[in-house]
Amino acid sequence: MASSPVRFLIAIVALVASAVIRPAEADDHPGAAIYREHCLRCHGDDGVGTPAAPAPLVGDRSVGQLARYVADTMPEDDPTAVTGDAAAAVAEWIHGHFYSPLARDRHRPARVELARLTVGQHQNAIADLVGGFLPPSPPVGPERGLRGEYFQGRDFNPARRVFERLDPAVGFDFGVEGPDPERFEPGRFAIRWQGSIVPVESGVHEFVVRTEQAVRLLVNHLDWDGPPLIDAWVKSGHDTEYRGTIHLLAGRPHPLRLEFSKASQGVDNPLHEKPRRASIELLWRQPHGVLERVPSRNLIPKHAPATFVVTTPFPPDDRSIGYERGSTVSKEWLAAVEAAAIESAAAIRERAGRLAGVKPDAPDRAQRVQAFAATFAERAFCRPLDAPVQALVAHPFVATTDVDAALERAILLILSSPRFLFRQPPNDDPSMASWDTAARLSFGVWDSIPDEALRTAAARGELETPEQIEAQVRRMAGDRRALAKLQAFLLTWLRVDRVPEIVKDPLRHPGFDPAVIDDLRTSLRLLLDDIVAPAAGPADYRRLFTADEVPINGRLAPFYGVELPARADFVPVRLDNGQRAGVLTHPYLLSVLAYAGESSPIHRGVFLTRGVLGNVLKPPAEAVAPLAPDLHPGLSNRQRVTLQTSPAACQGCHAVINPLGFALEGFDAVGRFRGGSAGETDGSYLPREGPEAHFEGADGLAAYLVTSADAEEAFLQSLFHALVKQPIRAWGPDTLPRLRRSFAAKGFDIREAVVDIMKVAAFPPVSPPSSPEPIDDHSP
Amino acid sequence: MITRRELLRKLGVGAAVAPFLGNLPSFASAAAARQRLVIVFSPDGTVRENFWPTSAGSFTAPAEDGTAAVELRPILAPLAPFKDRLLTLKGVGNKIRGDGDGHMRGIGCLLTGVELFPGNIQGGSDTPAGWSSGLSIDQEIAGFLQARPETTTRFGSLEFGVLVPDRADTWTRMVYAGPNKPVAPIDDPYQMFSRLYGSVKHRESLRSVLDELHEDLARVSATLPAEDRRLLEEHADLVRGFERELAAERDISSHAVPVLEPGILEANDRMPTISRMQIDLLVAALAADFTRVVTLQYTNSVGQPHMKWLGVDEGQHDLSHEPNSNVDAQEKLTRINTWYAGEVAHLAARLAATPEPGGDGSMLDHTTILWTNELGEGNSHTREDIPWVMIGGGLGFRTGRAVEFPAVPHNRLLLSLAHAFGHTGLDRFGNPDFCGDGPLALG
Repeated sequence: MASSPVRFLIAIVALVASAVIRPAEADDHPGAAIYREHCLRCHGDDGVGTPAAPAPLVGDRSVGQLARYVADTMPEDDPTAVTGDAAAAVAEWIHGHFYSPLARDRHRPARVELARLTVGQHQNAIADLVGGFLPPSPPVGPERGLRGEYFQGRDFNPARRVFERLDPAVGFDFGVEGPDPERFEPGRFAIRWQGSIVPVESGVHEFVVRTEQAVRLLVNHLDWDGPPLIDAWVKSGHDTEYRGTIHLLAGRPHPLRLEFSKASQGVDNPLHEKPRRASIELLWRQPHGVLERVPSRNLIPKHAPATFVVTTPFPPDDRSIGYERGSTVSKEWLAAVEAAAIESAAAIRERAGRLAGVKPDAPDRAQRVQAFAATFAERAFCRPLDAPVQALVAHPFVATTDVDAALERAILLILSSPRFLFRQPPNDDPSMASWDTAARLSFGVWDSIPDEALRTAAARGELETPEQIEAQVRRMAGDRRALAKLQAFLLTWLRVDRVPEIVKDPLRHPGFDPAVIDDLRTSLRLLLDDIVAPAAGPADYRRLFTADEVPINGRLAPFYGVELPARADFVPVRLDNGQRAGVLTHPYLLSVLAYAGESSPIHRGVFLTRGVLGNVLKPPAEAVAPLAPDLHPGLSNRQRVTLQTSPAACQGCHAVINPLGFALEGFDAVGRFRGGSAGETDGSYLPREGPEAHFEGADGLAAYLVTSADAEEAFLQSLFHALVKQPIRAWGPDTLPRLRRSFAAKGFDIREAVVDIMKVAAFPPVSPPSSPEPIDDHSP
Repeated sequence: MITRRELLRKLGVGAAVAPFLGNLPSFASAAAARQRLVIVFSPDGTVRENFWPTSAGSFTAPAEDGTAAVELRPILAPLAPFKDRLLTLKGVGNKIRGDGDGHMRGIGCLLTGVELFPGNIQGGSDTPAGWSSGLSIDQEIAGFLQARPETTTRFGSLEFGVLVPDRADTWTRMVYAGPNKPVAPIDDPYQMFSRLYGSVKHRESLRSVLDELHEDLARVSATLPAEDRRLLEEHADLVRGFERELAAERDISSHAVPVLEPGILEANDRMPTISRMQIDLLVAALAADFTRVVTLQYTNSVGQPHMKWLGVDEGQHDLSHEPNSNVDAQEKLTRINTWYAGEVAHLAARLAATPEPGGDGSMLDHTTILWTNELGEGNSHTREDIPWVMIGGGLGFRTGRAVEFPAVPHNRLLLSLAHAFGHTGLDRFGNPDFCGDGPLALG
C-alpha cells in the first residue's frame, strides 16, 4: 500500500493534534486505522489475540524492527498490503499502544503496589519511633521567640537572676555599659536563651553565632550534657564568628539553648576585666538558603524534647511520575538503609536506659530491655507481632547474654526488616486490617508511623467506618507534621519543591541577589501557609489563584515598590493596586519561570499547561534557543515567541502553551508588574470539556482557573498522589469525579479535601489476582 | 621472601646496571619500617631532686674518663629495665611568653611552641588568654605522614586521655590541629574503643542478624502477589550482595581486638585501671597501624588527682605548690611522679613485648615514647628544665644516656621530633625566634 499525499497530510495533522495528550484522549493515530483494517481480524482488540493468532501481540522489537517485520510478512495472506509508511505507522502505533514493555506497563490496570518507604517517610518514621519513647513535643502555639533569662555575674546562678523576658530573636548590642547599668555590672552579666526552633525544610542547617564574648549553643541535643553544637566558651584571638551544622526535620520543634557570658572565665577574678563591648547575634542558613538572623517565626519559647534525626545521606526517590514514591530499590539505597540502621541502633543502645525507662542496676533490666525491643518492633511494623515475628525480635536476646549488644542487634534487625521498610499492599492478612488502616492514615497525613491514639483505635477496632476515619484525620490534621506535608505538597504542585537556581541579569535587574531570592521563597511559603492554615476560616483552594496580597519584608520592599523599614519582618502587602492573582503572580514563581533578562511566556505557559491544568506535553521535537531580542528589535516579547513557535511542528503544543503564558506577560523576569499594552496579555485555553475560554491578563486567567474543572482535577489528583503515593486510578475511574463533587460541596477547602482523600485511601481496593506473564513473542 | 638476585632477574636488569641498584632491597625495607611517636603528659612539674640524674653521661657504661655509669634517681627507677633505651634531656625549656598564666602557657605552648591568643580565660595570675595560636608538633608530624601514601594510616593521630576534666579550656588542651583548634583527648576507654572498633563492631552486629533477616524476607515475600514479590526479591538480592561485602570486610579486619573490663566508671579512684585500659588500646592501635602518632594526657595542667592508692590523700596540684622545704609534700610528689613513671614503663614493657608487625625486633624498637610535663617544678612554676624523658628506638636518637643542654628553647626539640620522621623541610616550628640553631642533635 503506497501512501498518497493526502493521507500523508492527514497523518501530519493527526500527529500535531496528538502532541498535547489529554488524559481521556481518543485514539486517532494513522496506524490505528491501518491496524483496524489489516490486523484486527487475527490479532484482536489491542493485540490480545484471537483463535486465529492466540498469542498476545507483545515483544521487545524496536519500532524500526517491527516496521520491517510488518512490511515483509504482514498480513500473512497479503504481505504486500502494508508496506513503507503504512508499515511504519502501524508499527509505531502497535509499539506505543500495547506491544512494547513500556506500553504494557502503561496499560496494566493500576493497583496498589508494594512500595518501600520514601526517604522522607523513612526519616520521619525513625524520628517518631525513637521519639515515641521520649516525652511528647508541646504544641507549637502562637507565641514566637525565645525565653531569655538575664543574670548578674558570669554564670547562670538562679539566685542572681534579674529578670526573664520573651526575646523575639537574638540580635543585641549591649555596648560597653551592658543591658542595664542600674541592674548589671557592665563587665559581668550572663544571658541564657531557651526554647525550640521549628525549621521549614528538612536537611542540614548551619548555625552561626556572632559575639565578642563567651558563648555556647546547643541545638536538638539528645543529651544535654554532650558537646554543644558551638562551644566558644573560651574566647581566643579575634574570632567573633562561630559555626556549627546539624540535621533538622521540617515542621518539628527542636530544642535550642544559647548561653552567653560577658565576663572572664577560668579563675573567678574580676581584677583583669575591662569594660568591653558585648553584642550577640544568632543566625542560620537553611538548606539552600542564605545566612540570616534566625527569624522570630521559626522560634518558640517552649522546650521540646530532642528529635532523633538520622544523618545518613540517602539517594533521592523516584519522581518520574510526578510524586515521590518508593517504587524501586537500589544498592545505594540499601547501603543507606543499613548505615541508617547502624546509626540508629548505636544511638538507641547508648540511651537504652532512658528509652526503655530502666536503671542500669535494675534486677529485671534484661527482660525490660527485651520488652522495649518488642514494643519498638510493633511500632516499626505498625502491627502487633505474631509468633514468628516475636521469635525474630527475641532471637538476638537468645543468641547473646550481653543485653546491650542484643538490643543493638534487635534494632538492626527491625530497621532492616521488610516489615518496616516496605508499605504492604492490602491483601495478605484480613485480621490486621485495622492496623493497616492506621498505618495508611499516618503515612498519608504525616509520612510516618501511627501514634498512640491511632494504635489504640486500631486495637479497639475503631477504624472501620468513614466517620471514625474522618474523626482521626481531623485530629491528625492539627499536628505540625500534617501541615509540613501539606506545605511540601504545594511546593511540589508549584514545581519548586526542589530549590531551583535563579540567576538574573545584574544589569537589567540590579539588586536581585541571593538574599532577595531567599526572601521571595520565604514569602511564597508564608503565602501558602496563609492559604492552607489561615488564622480563621477555610483553607480555600481558590485563594491560590485570587489572593492579592504578597508577604513583603524590608529587603523586598524597595524592589517591589513598597515602603517599609529596612529590617521590617514580612507583612502581607497588596502589591500594584491589586494586580496580583495568587501564587501564579507571586514574584518567586514568576522569577523561576523566566530567563535572566526577559520573561518567558513559554516557561509560564508550560507550567500552567502541565502543572496547573494537568495536561501531558511531549518534549519539543528539538531543543530550541530563544530568539535574541536584538535580532528583532521591533518585536515585543510576545511577538517574538509567536514568531519562533509558528511552524506547524511547534504549534501542536504551543497553540496551547503560548496563550496561557501570554496572560502573565504583565510581569517581568523578576515578577515586577509592568502592565502591558493592548493585545499583549490576552490569552485562551481549550479545556478537556466545554468551550474555549478567553481571558485578559493575570486577573482574567485567575478568574478562569478558579472555575476550571481541569485545574481542580489536576490539583486533587496531585494532592492524592502526594498523600497516598499510590496511583489514584487503582481506586477506580469514579474516584476523582467523586472527590471533585465533594470538594465543590465543601467550599473548596483543601483541608477538607485531605479528609475526603484519606477516607478513600483508608480502604484501598484489594489487588486483583495477579495476571500471567505475557508470553514471549514467537511471532509479533 | 624475594631475594635481591631474584628481584633483579624479575626486573630484567642485567649485570651491567646491577651496581647502581645496589641498595634497592634494603631501601625497600627501610621504607617499610614504621616509626612511631607516643607523647605522654603528666602535670604540675616534677621533684627536681628526685628526678634529674646527677650528671650527664651514660646510664649503662662507665664514661671514658672512668667515672661510673649515671644512676637513675627514684622517680625514674621504674624505667631501669629500659636503661639502654632511655634518654633524658635537661636544659630544654619552654620560653614562650605572652598571655596566660604559667600553667596555661605550660600546656598550651608545650607542643605548639607558640604564644596563646588573647582571650577570656583568666588564670591565677597574668592576663587572660584563649587557645594556642598554632598547631602542635604531633599534628604537624601526623599531617606529614598522612600526606604520603606509604605512611598514611586510618586515623593519622589518636589523642588518649586519663581523667581529663570534662571542660574545654586552656588548661585541659595540649593538642592543637591549628590556631584556635584544640583537640579534645578521649579519656573514656569505651569511647576510644568505639572510635577504634565501633564501625567494625556495628557491621559485625549487622552481619549476625542477616540469617534472620533472610528468613523474614522469605516469609514476607510469601504473602505477596507475584507483581509485588519482584521488588522484594530484588531487595533480597541486594541484601545478599551486602552480606558478601560485609564478609570481605571482616576478613581484612581480623586483628586482635582488646577486651575491656566492662563498667569502669570515670572516677579518681579508678585512675590506675583506666590508665591500663588506655595503654592496652593504645598498643593495640599501634600494632594494627591505625596511627603512628599518639598522645596520652594524664589529667590536665593544674591536674588534681588524689592518688589514694599510693597513700596520698591530697590533690597533686595542691601538693605541688608546697615549698621544697615541706619534706612530706616532696615525698608524696615523688611517689606521684614515680607512679606516672611506672605507667610509662608499663607502656614501654608492652611495646617491648610485642614483636614489630611485619618487621624486625619489638614494637619499642620502632617507637619513641616522649614523657613530658607543663612545668619544670610545681611551686616555682618554672618552665625551664622541663622533664623530658624518651624511651625506645622509633626516632633513631642515641639512647642510654642523660644529656644536658645549656638552657635551649624547646622549639628546637620539637623540630628534632619532626626531622627524625624525615620531615626535614620543617626549618622552624612555633615561634621562629626560638628555632635559631635548628633541631637539637640527638643522633
